[in-house]
Amino acid sequence: MTYEAVIGLEIHVQLNAATKLFCDCPNRPGDAPNRNVCPVCLWLPGSLPRLSQEALEKAVLACLALNCTIQNESAFDQKVYYYPDLPKGYQLSQHHKPLARNGWVDIVGADGGLKRLRIHHIHLEEDVAKLVHETEGRTPISLVDFNRAGTPLIEIVSEPDMRTPHDAMEYVKALRAQLRYTGSAECSLEQGTLRVDANISLRPAGTEGLNTKVEVKNMNSIHNVGDAIAYEIVRQTECLEKGEPIVLHTRLWDPERRVTAPMRAKFEGPCVPDPSVAPIVVTDAWLEGIRGRLPEMPARKSARFMETYGLTPDEAAAMSAERDLSEFFESVVAQDLPPRKTAGWIVSQLIPALRDRNQGIGQTHLTTERFAGLLDTLEKEIINTQSAREILVQLLDSPAALEEIIQNGGFRQLSATGDLETLVDGVLADHAADVADYRNGNPKVLGFLMGQAMKASQGKANPKVLKALLAERLG
Amino acid sequence: MHEVYTYSNASPSRITPEGTLADLRVAVQPNLAVRGWPCEAGSRALSGYTALQDATVVARLVKAGAVLSGSSRMAELGFGLAGDTSARTLVDGHADVALITDTMGEVRLAAAGSGLFGLKPTHGLVSRHGLAGLVPSMESIGLAAADPRMIAEILAVMAGADPDDPSMPDDCTAGFSAAPPSGTESLTAGVIEESLSSLDPEERLAFDAGTACLETAGVTIQTVNLADYGLFKDVHHLIAAVEASSSAGKFDGVRYGHRSAVGKNWNDMYLNTRAESFGPLLKPFLFQGAYFQFERYLAFENACRLRCRLVRAVDDLLGKVDILVLPTRRPASDPAQAATIQATYAVFALTLPASVTGHPALQVPNPGVAADRDTGLQLIGRRLDDGRLLAIGQHLSSAAREGR
Ligand SMILES: [Zn+2]
Repeated sequence: MTYEAVIGLEIHVQLNAATKLFCDCPNRPGDAPNRNVCPVCLWLPGSLPRLSQEALEKAVLACLALNCTIQNESAFDQKVYYYPDLPKGYQLSQHHKPLARNGWVDIVGADGGLKRLRIHHIHLEEDVAKLVHETEGRTPISLVDFNRAGTPLIEIVSEPDMRTPHDAMEYVKALRAQLRYTGSAECSLEQGTLRVDANISLRPAGTEGLNTKVEVKNMNSIHNVGDAIAYEIVRQTECLEKGEPIVLHTRLWDPERRVTAPMRAKFEGPCVPDPSVAPIVVTDAWLEGIRGRLPEMPARKSARFMETYGLTPDEAAAMSAERDLSEFFESVVAQDLPPRKTAGWIVSQLIPALRDRNQGIGQTHLTTERFAGLLDTLEKEIINTQSAREILVQLLDSPAALEEIIQNGGFRQLSATGDLETLVDGVLADHAADVADYRNGNPKVLGFLMGQAMKASQGKANPKVLKALLAERLG
Repeated sequence: MHEVYTYSNASPSRITPEGTLADLRVAVQPNLAVRGWPCEAGSRALSGYTALQDATVVARLVKAGAVLSGSSRMAELGFGLAGDTSARTLVDGHADVALITDTMGEVRLAAAGSGLFGLKPTHGLVSRHGLAGLVPSMESIGLAAADPRMIAEILAVMAGADPDDPSMPDDCTAGFSAAPPSGTESLTAGVIEESLSSLDPEERLAFDAGTACLETAGVTIQTVNLADYGLFKDVHHLIAAVEASSSAGKFDGVRYGHRSAVGKNWNDMYLNTRAESFGPLLKPFLFQGAYFQFERYLAFENACRLRCRLVRAVDDLLGKVDILVLPTRRPASDPAQAATIQATYAVFALTLPASVTGHPALQVPNPGVAADRDTGLQLIGRRLDDGRLLAIGQHLSSAAREGR
């Protein structure tokens, strides 16, 4: 029998609000342990939660970016379980009345067609503390760092619309791109600011209905999400073929061994309405204000780039994928540079250079003015492409002025015919045999001689002038 | 002195000697945070815990010139009155006003036991910030004193919006005015017929003598019916137990309070700490709450729905009459008599309605009977009508003095 996978994702996203969800402590979990704590997030007796307006606004912005309907009234519940990472003995989360419902994102399916994946709801909740279990001599000790306790999260719960690992990976990518655009969240799987839990069940192909699902956690990259789901589909298929029933449980993805393994069942407590946090009541005027802050989203921006700048669909998609890069692109083009050439340079040179450095543009010394200056110098044939690549690296790493870099590096290209004539004559004299070969009808030698001449100029010759000279001398 | 106080203020000093409450002596319970004072709330779960900051009400009282005389003894986390000495601080002359947390009627019954006035304000009128509480949706910081005017003055300082307690409803943020509302004459008071069924003939006579005094004071008495009256007890019990179970979840020995010395790992430490932390009355109450939370959630939801129905029913009655009058019964002075949950609920049966609905309720010494007799009067008002209740109480008490 062939089986079809039914996949739903629950995604936790850390909001980048300045404070925690219910107190004024800095939202910086990585600081020295227990530095960012106060009576509220330690839940000392007599404390009461105060909902952060900024976190709420960022959450609403995220929900709007994912096409959700913000609920007129949402409220917090106490999700009860007993574990030292929970200072209250419960987690404040929205179970009965979530912040937003009924959203969607579009992805390109494996068949190349557009596929709309629905979002069931999005709710706000607080993160828990970090536990470290160690031993002191032979005594087990457990340490708690409350810096993360109470930091703001949204949980995005999808409908079980995904069928393949491809769908799930594309869903996470699309969702991440939309959320980053809003500026509400960083969304890094590697750094744990976006965490994916996948629910996977199988059913005979062509049937409807939902079977017992298995939850898989602990995937810390998009590829791991795909691999873990693929592994789980194979594992469950084998179970079914052997006649073993699927039981509801949670498994952890082991990225080293590339398998999922069952984890100890965690106690799931009930959700009781919290009597102390006032319900969130959203007015139309307030919501319109937040909606006004929603930026132009990637799909619309991509269409505009094709229309306004004549980019190809691929170029437009690349230029609109990340908000900071898209704004960088537009700002460079606004300085009178050809859009397609600019896009080409960003895709082929800038993005790989940033990836090598593991940096965003904002973390480098590159500005739109400096990048535009570089492209302009290249356009005017003051430098050649080879030099431009080397200069870009320096523009990223040092604050030195473009002119200075060109001057100090001797990057100005050799275009003066006199200089190049001497150089070409030298090369031809050194390679008399090859010249003869060419003249005997082997055109491939021209490329070799061109390379030798460029080498002799230490890469600074204007290739057009050089080529013309060579052709002229070889007759 | 030692028996009455868990902590007594050795160096009472006033910040504002000419404030509106200058020289007023206030006793608190040790569940209310006073910076630097022990805040153990009568529970081993909080043993050794010292408050880091003042509760909002404490800060406001001190700023207005009041002097904190000390903190009294209290039942574990304010559940009931077993061992509570709050009212004794007044009777023995150590304080002028006592702040007593009211969850099921504690401030009213503490007052009833000592011939005092005791107000449970409208729920949400007074900030709960700094109150180490147990049942957030029902508990209010109540006030007991011999003089209702004093209660009004101190409530005016305590009440009103507090940025540290965003749970206060919008209609409560304007605060409370100590000036008595006008139009206290020609009021109608409703006596809920169903509330009288548990009174024995002697108690009934005493209650009738009390309502007769109200009539003499110009209040028209009318009998009203509340068919669901019998539900107050179960609704209170179920919801309070669930909320208590949740709010006591924080007592795990990780950050403060008692921590068990035995246990191989954190899980053992956790279980043993909680097992050792709670007393024989509270522990089964927390078990009951956990049971409904985990195993009978629908029953809890039903109780919440019934609670809404009860609030509407009382609001409906208060649309027909200005106030409601209920009897109160003085609690047995022997704490051992309230050693079970059932016995505790029996003692508080008459004060549960206002705790469930959040309406303001004032315990008034019964002017119709001798001061040492048992049956008192409890006036329940509309939301935020706390001032009217205090004005009626004042009127009754001066009428009684003149009549004597
Ligand atoms: Zn904090």
